[in-house]
Amino acid sequence: MTEGEKAEDAPASKASNRGVRHSGSILGNHVETDKMLLEGTRSVPGFRGDVIFQPYASRLDAEPFKRGEEVCASKAIAVGPEGAALDKGKCIMCGMCQQVAPQAFKMVNSFAVPVTTRRDLLVAQMPAPPEGGPSQTVDEIGAKLSHRIKKLLGRSLAIREVDAGSCNGCEVEVSALNNPVYDIERFGIHFVASPRHADVLLVTGVASRNLELALRRTFEATPDPKVVVAVGACACSGGIFGDTYATSGGIGKVVPVDVFVPGCPPRPEALLYGLLLAVDRVGPASSA
Amino acid sequence: MNGNEVRVEVEHASDLRGICVSVRDGFRGRLAMIACSDERRTAGGFALRHVFDVEGADVFIVLVSRVEDREPGLPPTYPSVALLIPSATLYEREIKDMFGLVAEGSPDSRPFVLHEQWPEDVHPLRKDYSLQTKQPRVEDGRYQFLEVEGEGVSEIPVGPVHAGIIEPGHFRFSILGETVVNLETRLYYTHRGVEKLAENLSLDQAVLLSERISGDEAVANSAAYCQAIEKIAGVEPPRRAMQVRAVCAEMERVYNHLGTLAALSLDAGFAYGYARLALLKERMMRLNEEVAGSRLLFGVNRIGGVNVDFTHQLARRAVEEMGQVRGDFEKVLKLLRSESSVMDRLSGTGRIQMESAVEMGLLGVAARSSGMDCDTRKDHPYGAYRGMKTDLRDGTRRQITERMIKMAKAGGDVLARFEARVGEVMSSMDMVKEILEDLDGDLRLNLVAEDMLEPFGNALGYAESHRGQTLHWVMVGGDGNSVFRYKVRTASFANWPAIELAVLNDIVADFPLINKSLDLSYAGNDL
Repeated sequence: MTEGEKAEDAPASKASNRGVRHSGSILGNHVETDKMLLEGTRSVPGFRGDVIFQPYASRLDAEPFKRGEEVCASKAIAVGPEGAALDKGKCIMCGMCQQVAPQAFKMVNSFAVPVTTRRDLLVAQMPAPPEGGPSQTVDEIGAKLSHRIKKLLGRSLAIREVDAGSCNGCEVEVSALNNPVYDIERFGIHFVASPRHADVLLVTGVASRNLELALRRTFEATPDPKVVVAVGACACSGGIFGDTYATSGGIGKVVPVDVFVPGCPPRPEALLYGLLLAVDRVGPASSA
Repeated sequence: MNGNEVRVEVEHASDLRGICVSVRDGFRGRLAMIACSDERRTAGGFALRHVFDVEGADVFIVLVSRVEDREPGLPPTYPSVALLIPSATLYEREIKDMFGLVAEGSPDSRPFVLHEQWPEDVHPLRKDYSLQTKQPRVEDGRYQFLEVEGEGVSEIPVGPVHAGIIEPGHFRFSILGETVVNLETRLYYTHRGVEKLAENLSLDQAVLLSERISGDEAVANSAAYCQAIEKIAGVEPPRRAMQVRAVCAEMERVYNHLGTLAALSLDAGFAYGYARLALLKERMMRLNEEVAGSRLLFGVNRIGGVNVDFTHQLARRAVEEMGQVRGDFEKVLKLLRSESSVMDRLSGTGRIQMESAVEMGLLGVAARSSGMDCDTRKDHPYGAYRGMKTDLRDGTRRQITERMIKMAKAGGDVLARFEARVGEVMSSMDMVKEILEDLDGDLRLNLVAEDMLEPFGNALGYAESHRGQTLHWVMVGGDGNSVFRYKVRTASFANWPAIELAVLNDIVADFPLINKSLDLSYAGNDL
């Protein structure tokens, strides 16, 4: 850095700059990595992270739910005689259902929680909704993660990101994990250039027909024990693209999936959460 | 006539070549798209629409010709214009795969969208092909790459799964030592059937699909789609909605350009610059989230208006935050420009000459940094860009001259594209400020009712994304709430051929840098 720039240093950006703060100059060393709470403070009020059934929606009146079903572009809502069901693996968090039937659906700003079985993403209409999302800081998730990683994999977790036909939205969020705010290398996680060096395959996209073979080969090239994380609605279920002549309806049709991270696209905190679940799966059980 | 579209019915498809050439030479028309649609059950035959963008005027010329279907086994044919207009080649290959129409006299008829593992005679965009029909895999298919022969020439195959966190595509390099003597790209790995899928969605649902054509171009693509529908219906969103669209489009440009500049710094081996610029990108994405509830600005546009609004408070916050990002950006920039290791790497690398840029019909930053003065916001002003007085609209004679000199100096190399993006970050920030200070009116929706849409009415919608012009041609169905045909041509489709040219005579190690400097979307190309 030259003298000139030092002299130009602006006063610290204030707290108005949500989340990302650096004291002193942008060129200085004191960028604060994200420590703020995911729930409430960090997530901005309008963020569409998850969809829930309205707590007090009448179960007897199926009409608003049907309106939601009709408008849903990714067919995540199904109304049957048993009541409504919501598939968070398909939901693209567009908020259209809330727009047409606010008495039945509600978008909330905590992110949809990653799970280990596809079934767990199916939500039946219940009298009361599951409370909020994971209320942990990135650092809390990260600390747990690095503990597990140390125990299981000897200090580092190597990830190979595979785009199996996404719109590149998920890629934007996956690469955000590398920026100084999320900085996942501090937890011992890094992205590697070859599946042969990887413990985890982080797969985005619909598993397009033109890529099926490449995805299968990538999976075969990854040494055991390995974990596959499906990132985003497309990888979980096909998302808005569904199951068509060009897609497979989710990567689960091509490779076995261990963790499902819903969202369109999932925010970086959700990806970290998904990785935590992934590491828990590389236990003695699956490596034996 | 339909707004700025001049439609010309070509009576005999056999006259296409002559007419295309006269439009190109007589009206300075640049081929912007060839859209095919299967109208066998409606207007008869397959319709081809050769769309030309007229240079220096807010006009599109659409040549409509019809190709009759023939009995099974005999593919319908039409004359290829690829030898006269090279950029037509890719459209003609696409139409052959998706519709089974053969361009007679085309220099290249290899499979394109549907890879070699697809059976022949499968044409998904024909109306008698249903969306869900799966095809068996052909195991022994092979794709014929161009082979370079000679002593010491070797090939490097790269992809489709790449080393970085990027999208999939295959590159076949032919090299002599370290020097690239030929590069062939093979895309369509992320083909998700966007155009076919749209035909099964309602008009509103297709907005969500258009956002997901290429996730980082969500605002531009959905704006282009919405504008096409609005044009068919003859409505216009209220002024405030158009202003919000423009602000979000510029915010999209800023965060993406910052990301590209960060990656350029990384690929030039300067990780510190990457980290600082990535930080600024993150700040912009958080601002996106506050504005639209999505870090990628999903959900901004809807037909007839927008879903988001800038309250007085939010507008002030956005201007303030962008002002801070700008201040920090200028500091990082000053540092980058003083790093000779970065600048040397960018300078002179991946050069695209203006003549080639014109011939290939490049768009956006890639074209402007080679000296082509094209920008949809200026050439075909839409929405809030009409009547804006930023540097997009030519001002005094002095300003025009200065601009011309600047364009003529554009070197067409990675450095020129770097500087072009830097310039656009600044001017986009100015535009956001200008529009937000000028917000007025209310945000009611100008809804498009079913009876406002003439059955099978069609129109072009367009917008300038951070990659260049994105052009969408939409034909609505007979019932007023469905899409009959949705043809998308993003800037990436037009710009992909540029990379094959830009890497020639550079070394393999410069490829990532050149690739990033062009910032092409695989998903936006593959659909």
